This record gives sequence, structure tokens and C-alpha cells, in this order.
Amino acid sequence: MTASFSLDWFFISLIFVAGLYGMMVSRSLLRQFISLEIMSKASLLGLISAGAKTGNLALAQTFIITMIVIEVVVVAAGLALLVKNYRLTGSIDVWSLNKLKG
Amino acid sequence: MTYHNLLFILVVLSAVAAVMARDLLLNALMLALVSVGTALLLFDFQAPWAGVFELSVCAGLITVLFVSAVSLIRREDGKVEDSRARFRAMPLVMGIAAIALWLYGIPFFEALENWSRFSDRTASLGTIIWDTRRFDLVGQVSMLAAGVLVIRSIFPRRKK
Repeated sequence: MTASFSLDWFFISLIFVAGLYGMMVSRSLLRQFISLEIMSKASLLGLISAGAKTGNLALAQTFIITMIVIEVVVVAAGLALLVKNYRLTGSIDVWSLNKLKG
Repeated sequence: MTYHNLLFILVVLSAVAAVMARDLLLNALMLALVSVGTALLLFDFQAPWAGVFELSVCAGLITVLFVSAVSLIRREDGKVEDSRARFRAMPLVMGIAAIALWLYGIPFFEALENWSRFSDRTASLGTIIWDTRRFDLVGQVSMLAAGVLVIRSIFPRRKK
């Protein structure tokens, strides 16, 4: 049986690959944000796994709390951009963003 | 141990479903499932504070934000015609990634494990947040204020 830390990181990498693939293949802004969220979940799990391994769980938790706060703001800003863009162009295609002029 | 790995498998499967689902609402709900699985994993790692934050903010607030965004754009003309073939190929890509990671990733992670430096800190979460990391809380509070302004900009007050 493989050690737990390596197995954890195997799954974390798989979650990251799922998010990365979603960001690469989708043109919908909403799906891209969801994929970004999945990638950030993978990094969050990486942080806590490393924290548990090195006996630094409290520090890992504080980083995770900071990360979650920033994640919420990023998602709120992104969704605001998406809704504004939809009202302007009627589309949530990521390529419609290049019609924005300043 | 089995519970831990089963939770990881649940998170991987719901992440794949969150990317692959055709309906935008289903995408958002699957993301909430990923968050719930992550929160349970955090509890399993003996990190209850992070777990509570993950469960309340990511599985709650972010899902509400996504669902409200979906409800604001839920018209036929807002849909993007993504190539479904690329999404159907996702299980194959994930399978290849899993095999490659099993063969090449795991030896690397085992080597990484040997480099880990063990901490002798016994500080509690409160000590680290309020004493050690006092300054970056300013940045965190300003990020929250920026988030409030951003949400306010989604629903602007109509001019008379």
C-alpha cells in the first residue's frame, strides 16, 4: 500500500487536472470560473495535506481561511464581470470579452 | 483511512461531473458537492476551523453566487455552444492523467515526503491569526471590502 501522503497528492493532482482541463476546453465564462474553483480546491487540499504532514496544521488553517476569503472576492468580481458582459453583449462566451473597450 | 480515500474519490468524481455537466445549474451544484467533500476532508485532517469556513463560505455563499448568476443569464441566447466532444473525452483524459500520475507522480511525492521539515510549533490558530499574522489581516479586510463593492456593482441603483 502506498503511503497516505503520496496517495493524497495523487488525488489532489487529479482534481487539479480536472479543473485545468475544464478551463482549457470551455468557452463559457461560468464554466471557466467553476474550473478555477476546482483548481483552488486542489491547492487548498495540498496546503492542508502539507500542513498535516509537517505538524503545522494551525498555520495551514490560517492560510486556508485567507485563501477562502480571497476566493470569494475573486468569484464575486468574476461573476459581476460576467453579468455586466452578458447585459452588454447577450453572451457569456469568453471571446466576447475582446469587444470591451476600456 | 478508507473513509479518507473515499472522500477524495468523491471529490474527484464530483469535480469531473462539475466540468462535464451540460446544464450550468448542474455545474454549480456539482461544485457545491466538491466543496462539501473538501470540507469533510478538512474535518478529517483535524482542521475544523478551515472546514467550517469551507462549508459555510464555499459550499454556501459561492454556490448562491453561482446560482444567482445562472438565473441572471438563463436565456437561450446566453448559452455558449461548447464542443461536447471535448467534454466527452474528459474521462479518457482523466484516465491517462491517473495512469501517468500513478507511474511518475507517486515516486516524486514520496521523495517530497522525505524532504518535509517537521515543525515544533504548538501555537493555536488564534495566536497565529491575531499575533503572528496581524499585518496581512489588513489586506484581508480590504479584500472583503472590495468584494462588497463588487457585489454592489452587480445590482446598481437605477437612476430616476
